[in-house]
Amino acid sequence: MIEVRELTKNYGPHKAVDRLSFSVKKGEVVGFLGPNGAGKTTTMKIITGFMPPSAGSVTVAGFDVFEDPIEVKKRIGYLPETPPVYGEMTVESYLKFVARLKGVEKSKLSAQVERAIEKTDLGSVRKRMIQNLSKGYRQRVGISQALVSEPEVLILDEPTVGLDPRQVAEVRKLIKDLAGHHTIILSTHILPEVQATCERIIIINRGRIAAEDSLDGLSRRMSGSARVHVRVVDMKDSVVGDLRSTPGVQGVVARGGGVIEIDTDGSKGITPKLAERVVTAGCGLLELREERINLEDVFLKLTTSEENQNKGATL
Amino acid sequence: MRGALVIAGKDLRNIFASPLFYVIAGVCCIAWTILFIVSVAAFLQPQMQMMSGADGMNLHFTVFAKHISLVNLVMIFAVAAISMRLFPDEKRQRTFDLLLTAPVTATDITLGKLIAGTVTAWALVLVSLLYPLSLVFWGHLDWGPLACSYIGLLLLVACYVAIDMFTSSLTQSTVVAVILALIFNVLLWFLGAAADASESPLQRQVFEHLNVSTHYVNFLKGNFSVSGLIFFATVVFFFSFLTQRVVESTRWR
Repeated sequence: MIEVRELTKNYGPHKAVDRLSFSVKKGEVVGFLGPNGAGKTTTMKIITGFMPPSAGSVTVAGFDVFEDPIEVKKRIGYLPETPPVYGEMTVESYLKFVARLKGVEKSKLSAQVERAIEKTDLGSVRKRMIQNLSKGYRQRVGISQALVSEPEVLILDEPTVGLDPRQVAEVRKLIKDLAGHHTIILSTHILPEVQATCERIIIINRGRIAAEDSLDGLSRRMSGSARVHVRVVDMKDSVVGDLRSTPGVQGVVARGGGVIEIDTDGSKGITPKLAERVVTAGCGLLELREERINLEDVFLKLTTSEENQNKGATL
Repeated sequence: MRGALVIAGKDLRNIFASPLFYVIAGVCCIAWTILFIVSVAAFLQPQMQMMSGADGMNLHFTVFAKHISLVNLVMIFAVAAISMRLFPDEKRQRTFDLLLTAPVTATDITLGKLIAGTVTAWALVLVSLLYPLSLVFWGHLDWGPLACSYIGLLLLVACYVAIDMFTSSLTQSTVVAVILALIFNVLLWFLGAAADASESPLQRQVFEHLNVSTHYVNFLKGNFSVSGLIFFATVVFFFSFLTQRVVESTRWR
């Protein structure tokens, strides 16, 4: 649905996004995670056709963002960091305006406005002027605005900022409900948010992808599970099956160079048991290392080590 | 074009729903009313009638021309005040992001704003037309010159709208927009004065063509001039083009 290839954006000498490549499948919910200034908003603005990249290409539903911007924009609902609302309009008239602007047909207009109001639970304030609404309601109007044209792709830039905990939960639920019908990219710097809503996570830092993983992969790490890295001299096929059948092992991946990665549930005593299996198989154990990490660690490690690398490069 | 109309519709609804427009309209009407009463009263004095010979004085030149010139003067300020919010409001409320990510082109956005500004300004001009029309029961109106001078006025006002829309696209601040707009509007009138300062005949000719007051006075006298029409249309097109470039430039700035 969305293909981003070698995307680069420079602001003068500063590289906001540096050769970013990823793709999002139809119906997927992808979380963009990164510290402030990592290039999340810039990437999103480029996908929406708001501004052109310095290099690289983006296609949405097969249309290139810079060759067919109108076709792409028809298919995207975008919520910027600040909800783009007119204070002097009522919620209902504003949503009608956005629907018309996005080219919704007259016959479907009021039905789609109704649906957007219903989904974001704005029924009680529909006749109120937006300038008199609280920040949380305005944010919801912003989300509603992105939904009103029923776009295939939704791009939400920090959708839960400024909401109270109950509203945050509601918005997260809404995003989950929308998954499947829409392809969603959302950005945030709040870790649990990603966990609550996304199927796949892209962590970016300093304009580059620091990590990409599925929610399963991440939640396994989060639940305190551990990954064991094993390096052997002589890789035997039987050892992989052997390890896989060990109780407590969730997955075994044999990589090149005699490296085996074993995902475990982190139960006590599993690592020695694995070591024993490798040794009895006669592979010649060279290295065995246990990694116990959670998402915070992943995030911090990925974002700070990159920084150090960059510092090293400039020195 | 569809996008332009949607944007124009939204802007018009917001302009006519705001108190600012009615304040501007009220102030305009006060100025027009005072001068109109004064000039009608002067016109009715017997000695004035006698001075002008057997046919009596011409209502169009003594009353209406004055009125239309005042309307023009007032519109220099009124259009600046109406147009000052066209773009700065969008930028301040961050709704410009919405327009730029919607399936409309920069031309649609510019055209929408131009339509909204022009319709509003023309509505005011049409209110000013009520003054001359009010005399229809008491005197003989020259419909030709009146219509012609109002066409000229509408064209001139459209020029102010295009110019002021351009100045408002340059800034986020309505105050800066309104000051720039006034400077540009007044400058338009001084452009022709450069003719006196130029030496080469060609230069002179060029500046004489750029003289707003020549074109405007032509319309006021009741001469519908095609060159005037082309001049005003060019000004509108030129400043709309500049605005379109400014809107487009927000993408890469």
